Amino acid sequence: MTTMNKKTLRRSRQLNWKHEARLIPGYTLLILWVVFTTILIGWVAAASLSTTRAIYRGEVFHFAANGLNFGNYVKAWNSQNVSVFFANSLGYASISTVLLVLVAAPAAYVLSRFKFFLNHPIQNGFVAAMGVPVVMIILPLFAVVTQLQLLRQTVTIRLLMIVLYVGINVPYTTIFLLSFFSNLPRSYEEAAAIDGCPPMRTFWKIMLPLAQPGIVTVSIFNFINIWNEYFMSLIFANQDATRPVAVGLYSMINSMKYTGDWAGMFASVMILFMPTFILYLFLSEKIIAGVTGGGLKG
Amino acid sequence: MKLNRTMVVVFLTPALLLFFAIFVYPIARTVVMSLFSVENVTSSMNEWTFTGLKNYRDLVQTSLFRQSMWNIFRIWLVGGLVVMSFALLFAVILNSGIRFKRFFRAVIYLPNIISAVALATMWLQYVYAPRWGFLTNLFSWLGLEGLAATQWTAAGNKFWALTFAYCFGMVGYHMLIFSSGIEKIPHEFYEASSIDGASKPRQFTQITLPLLKGVIKTNITMWTITSVGFFVWSQLFSTVTTDLDTITPMVYLYLQVFSTGNTVMTREAGLGAAVGVTLGLCVVLIFVLTNLFIRDDELEY
Repeated sequence: MTTMNKKTLRRSRQLNWKHEARLIPGYTLLILWVVFTTILIGWVAAASLSTTRAIYRGEVFHFAANGLNFGNYVKAWNSQNVSVFFANSLGYASISTVLLVLVAAPAAYVLSRFKFFLNHPIQNGFVAAMGVPVVMIILPLFAVVTQLQLLRQTVTIRLLMIVLYVGINVPYTTIFLLSFFSNLPRSYEEAAAIDGCPPMRTFWKIMLPLAQPGIVTVSIFNFINIWNEYFMSLIFANQDATRPVAVGLYSMINSMKYTGDWAGMFASVMILFMPTFILYLFLSEKIIAGVTGGGLKG
Repeated sequence: MKLNRTMVVVFLTPALLLFFAIFVYPIARTVVMSLFSVENVTSSMNEWTFTGLKNYRDLVQTSLFRQSMWNIFRIWLVGGLVVMSFALLFAVILNSGIRFKRFFRAVIYLPNIISAVALATMWLQYVYAPRWGFLTNLFSWLGLEGLAATQWTAAGNKFWALTFAYCFGMVGYHMLIFSSGIEKIPHEFYEASSIDGASKPRQFTQITLPLLKGVIKTNITMWTITSVGFFVWSQLFSTVTTDLDTITPMVYLYLQVFSTGNTVMTREAGLGAAVGVTLGLCVVLIFVLTNLFIRDDELEY
């Protein structure tokens, strides 16, 4: 569409009240949904800054009377090893995300560029693995890991979690990047070959930087997925020093529920919620592109 | 491009090693393990005794497991219908030339990036809370005192409260998949049919739906895969260890294999493997069925 066309289209839409009127039911539904989501998160955010008494009275939004009690956050943060949980989550998610690119990008590149007889079986295997529920693999993994005595030391547990997160996400990441590499024109490699650049160097120096948009998208997506992962860390990292936030705060939320420290409990929920939310505020378009980008036919 | 063997081997080996270590070997071992009596998950393979399909027979006779399968089936079917309806509806609305499309899309997808522990707690301790809860306030504001007094997370209501809260968080993901399908349908189709006098609903049933077949298949498959892994939500909504209202197969497996000191179940890790295989087979079965019933004609626009 030319710019001229786009302009006239936009102008005609601005004036077309009939068109807007027909969309009223759609707008209403969307706005209701948005309002509910806002209330849900807004109330919890307000409650996390209020006091348990105000929560009981239903006055969490009376900021003037309640004040902003950041003390809830301080208390929640200090009541257990939240800083350790946080560091663990950050470590697991960021290291795994980087390693995933280093493992999956070369694989994806080779699968997108070369014809060899195992190419399609490997691709199909990866696609199938994306549908394998964790229950199908968790018991043998646990057995092997215990036999190797990896669950005794903090260091080995941490390394194990990273290996597991990388392994679990390799199929998805590879398939995602594969479609990305296929869309890059081959003329780059041809030009590099003429200039005498060996193919592996060409990949690291030219093709990988070219795939950067895809790598960024899939990495954000992996980071959030690993940050929010629960079941595997519950099984393998089930001790204070190695726990990520989701598992760590789960027990904290439970104990605060029983002691009736509601303000502290909502503060804990916010601590868990904020990191991915802040990422989302800045990168929502990239994250949304990540959902529909890789491996999904449609 | 000319095949470069060394490069193929070097570049593929790490990914393939992980693939075999994390997927191929564990899957094979789970299948074999489900046919053996294994006292402890960590028992080495020479301590296993072959019992054939006994684990599966035992599972069928365990009422707790049957209850967990019934729960997950209801979540899959009823929750699936709710999620898919909302997801499709929102996808259609978002692609009907609405303003602020990106904003609406981003807000609807937002729950998907929130940790399940946080989201489930928000629902439990705010929306469903008896004293200060959203529903209590909403219904008493509307003057519906009967509904306002409902204990949403009490025994009889808990299952549906759980399912509904879970669905809210899942709509965004499936909406995006529907939306990506709708965006690919060429605009000319709608213009041409408008000229021929087709109404909006007619266009939806005659153009949009048939062209979304592949996307519907993707959605059903993805919904099945996530349903099978239903765990955190169930844990957060349950008040006792074996809560019949909320138990799902994955929780059952967790209790059976990993939970220490529960007296309800006999120690048998083979049962856990059988649960895993059963769930894996469910995914395969639904995948095969959707492929049988929804023919995906290769579409070229």
